[in-house]
Amino acid sequence: MGRGTELVFDHAGALGLLTWAMIMSVVRLKVPSREFFRQIYVMGVESLPIVFVTGALAGIVTSQQGGYQMTGAIPQYILGSLVAQTVVLEMGPVLTAIVLVGRVGARITAELGTMKVSEQIDAYHSLGRDPVVLLGTPRVLAGIVVMPILVGFANLIGILAGMVAARLDSGLGFESFLYGANLFWHSWDLFYSFTKALVFGVSIPLISVHMGFRTQGGAEGVGRTTTDAVMFMTLTILILDAMFPPLLLN
Amino acid sequence: MIQYRQIHKSFDHPVLSGVDLRIDTGEMFALFGPSGTGKSVLLKTTIALITPDMGDVMIDGESVYFGDDGSLARARRKVGYVFQNAALFDSFNVFENVAMGIPEDVLKRMPRMELARRVWEAIELVNLDPIEVLEKIPSELSGGMRKRVGIARAIIGRPEILLWDEPTTGLDPINTAAVERLIVRLSDNLEVTSLVVTHDIEGGLLFCDRVAMLDQGRLRFCGTPDEFRRSGDPVVQAFQDRAAAERALDMAIEHD
Ligand SMILES: Nc1ncnc2c1ncn2[C@@H]1O[C@H](COP(=O)(O)OP(=O)(O)OP(=O)(O)O)[C@@H](O)[C@H]1O
Ligand SMILES: [Mg+2]
Repeated sequence: MGRGTELVFDHAGALGLLTWAMIMSVVRLKVPSREFFRQIYVMGVESLPIVFVTGALAGIVTSQQGGYQMTGAIPQYILGSLVAQTVVLEMGPVLTAIVLVGRVGARITAELGTMKVSEQIDAYHSLGRDPVVLLGTPRVLAGIVVMPILVGFANLIGILAGMVAARLDSGLGFESFLYGANLFWHSWDLFYSFTKALVFGVSIPLISVHMGFRTQGGAEGVGRTTTDAVMFMTLTILILDAMFPPLLLN
Repeated sequence: MIQYRQIHKSFDHPVLSGVDLRIDTGEMFALFGPSGTGKSVLLKTTIALITPDMGDVMIDGESVYFGDDGSLARARRKVGYVFQNAALFDSFNVFENVAMGIPEDVLKRMPRMELARRVWEAIELVNLDPIEVLEKIPSELSGGMRKRVGIARAIIGRPEILLWDEPTTGLDPINTAAVERLIVRLSDNLEVTSLVVTHDIEGGLLFCDRVAMLDQGRLRFCGTPDEFRRSGDPVVQAFQDRAAAERALDMAIEHD
């Protein structure tokens, strides 16, 4: 077995055990509520500004790109549909996730990693407390709650920004834009978007907690593990995102 | 009673290679050894903060590693652990840190006043001023203060066994004496078993019932302080001479 394969199995096994431990702590109602709400604030409320900007830019870029590629034969209001679908199905969830990898995931890994190398995780164990329950579960649960809301927000801002951009760029009126957006709209699209949000909302804190707990080797180790965690999360997001169309869009 | 049985542990190199040691109930036991010989690792294996590659630890006759589901939890409950670098929780203030030393189920049932009193008492025991420190977070404290808060957290739960990883390193002479008095007092009054890892050989020999020296992954010596002083083992002698020389140097620097 190659080293790469070994590493994949190692992480997969540890992630499985971690997930199991977290599910059990939820089932036993042992999640500390104060930490949970603190994480909602840190991950959700504090992320709103950057998610706002990202969502808006995603809408604007899609709108500009779409307007540029559309030639005379296609009715202009199609641009509305193009922007709405691209933002809701793809840009909203994925860009929000990538932003959260940097803003939330890296922070969690560095925070828990520092606790690991400064023996605070050992201290939890020595005091008969379970750091997975006290630190891990609230972060993952907060991710599950926060991510769909952030993605919904990014979607809304993205479509609105795209609509304004379409008017400024191609002179497409708001009504035509909305007409186009509605024409090809399925409520399924929203479900698809939120399913992505949920999957990413679990993956980011789960991986970052996992990486934080296995940090070793002082301050340098925290730096190294945080970088690794960001790579790990980004790749996971992109790979999961590529798996969605074959699984859900047929 | 703590029994270490054939503890083996390697990281990228062997650290402990077969340590056997028994510390009786109510005993004060000092563990010496050069830096990096695995004293902290051995202490951590007591409650599975580090799992040995081989061997077992028995606490009051109950196996930590091969017992039933609850044996590790029971072991951790009996043991108070003073970490070498205090290991205080960054995001909690001193009050919350110390209160965490009380087992979760007891803490849940404890009235607020009782909790406040216990925390206050523990902080006074380590020679800190509760009014000054209770509300502070660890980063606002000096290293020596953090260390003493770590001790307060370890003793507040009234453990039967205390593991001290260099409790006096980094403390000034007054606080060193205070912590030493505390260790002795806890062991005298409460039948607490204490295992103290320390670089303070003089102090260890003075107040401990027995001492041991760890060297290159094995116990080089185990016996009474007197036997240690008179040991014919050249390694033990060299270690004592080096410690004495360092101490003299420290004193000289302090007097400068
Ligand atoms: N978690 C760990 N991962 C890898 N190596 C470790 C780990 N913990 C300890 N070691 C290694 O084990 C050896 C013994 O370390 P330990 O901290 O027990 O020494 P010590 O006797 O307590 O030294 P000191 O007196 O300086 O505290 C060292 O070489 C250290 O690098
Ligand atoms: Mg040590």
